[in-house]
Amino acid sequence: MTEQSELPRFVGMVLVLLIPSFVLWMLISPWLAGPAVWVCDALFTLWMPEVVDSVQLRGTQALVMTLYGELDGAVVTAAQAGSQMGFPVDVRLLSYSIPFYAALHFSTPQSGGFSSFGWGLWVLYPLIILGLVCVCLKNLMMGLGVPFFAQSAAFVPSGHAIGLVYQLSILIVPPLAPILLWAWQARETPLLKQFSRTSSTGPKIPE
Amino acid sequence: MVRFVTIFLLVLIGLFTLEMVEPVHQSVVVPFTNMLAWLSAALITPFDDSVIFYGKILQDAGSGFAVSIESGCNGVEATIVLVAAVVAFPAPWRSRVMAIVIGFLAVQVMNLGRIISLYYLGQWNFEVFTWVHLYLWPVLIMLDVLIVFMLYLRYLSNQAIDGDLPA
Repeated sequence: MTEQSELPRFVGMVLVLLIPSFVLWMLISPWLAGPAVWVCDALFTLWMPEVVDSVQLRGTQALVMTLYGELDGAVVTAAQAGSQMGFPVDVRLLSYSIPFYAALHFSTPQSGGFSSFGWGLWVLYPLIILGLVCVCLKNLMMGLGVPFFAQSAAFVPSGHAIGLVYQLSILIVPPLAPILLWAWQARETPLLKQFSRTSSTGPKIPE
Repeated sequence: MVRFVTIFLLVLIGLFTLEMVEPVHQSVVVPFTNMLAWLSAALITPFDDSVIFYGKILQDAGSGFAVSIESGCNGVEATIVLVAAVVAFPAPWRSRVMAIVIGFLAVQVMNLGRIISLYYLGQWNFEVFTWVHLYLWPVLIMLDVLIVFMLYLRYLSNQAIDGDLPA
């Protein structure tokens, strides 16, 4: 197969493999969400015990239960409100990076098969957890407001920092991380090798 | 590879932060997003005159269904990723500018397809709309960016072999 025909073949394969990858991901997404939610539960109950009661798994959603409630439009303690405020987060907003990565990985011959795919998941999953933490922080900030920033026992990032990492976690990381990971793992395959030769000719290229 | 990734991430985060700065957002991103709504309506109108637009919103006058083009749906983030990749890869600046301009157009053509498809999917089945909107289109747009970047690398490769790289 010529280098020129590698790219169309690769793109075609990715588009085809996206279908079974997404179907499989839909089927197992509650199990995929589980560990990330449990990590978030442990993290937030330790980090922000003044505002977070628990983070629970509900299907494919993480439900951040707070120690606050709403009474006549105002945020008050759960005891005063008689109920708890909870903020749901769809973990699939972050975990769709997995089927995308699977389609990229298995569309590239000689990219290492299932074992390197497994290693790839070990890299992607912490990013999913990190993304979930950022989304939970944003929801707590927007939902609670003053009580969130007024925590005395916890380090609370600034609103701007939370806004930035939230946007990065939702808009950039899930679709981009699989590509970067795939490119790193497939760098020795013929598909990407042709481009590394371009890179190696770099010094000849006038800047 | 390490140099590429470092520059890529620096440019990516820098441009992304710049995009979120309120004056930049209000004076560049919002007018651009409004223009996308206008362009989408202009493309739909010859086939379906029930479409109306105002600001960043595209609405069906009959059913009342509307889509609002928000951050992440205007192709700006995908363009930022492409710009970061092109800037990070060593090449003549003329080639880089050409890649950014053509890549921007490729991303936006795909993005108009996203907006128009979602506008109709939402009127047909809201569950399908949500799924395609949240999970499928972000993947397809980023795949578009990857393809554009790989075609650009192939162009550079051919130029290097021919030995006629522009000064």
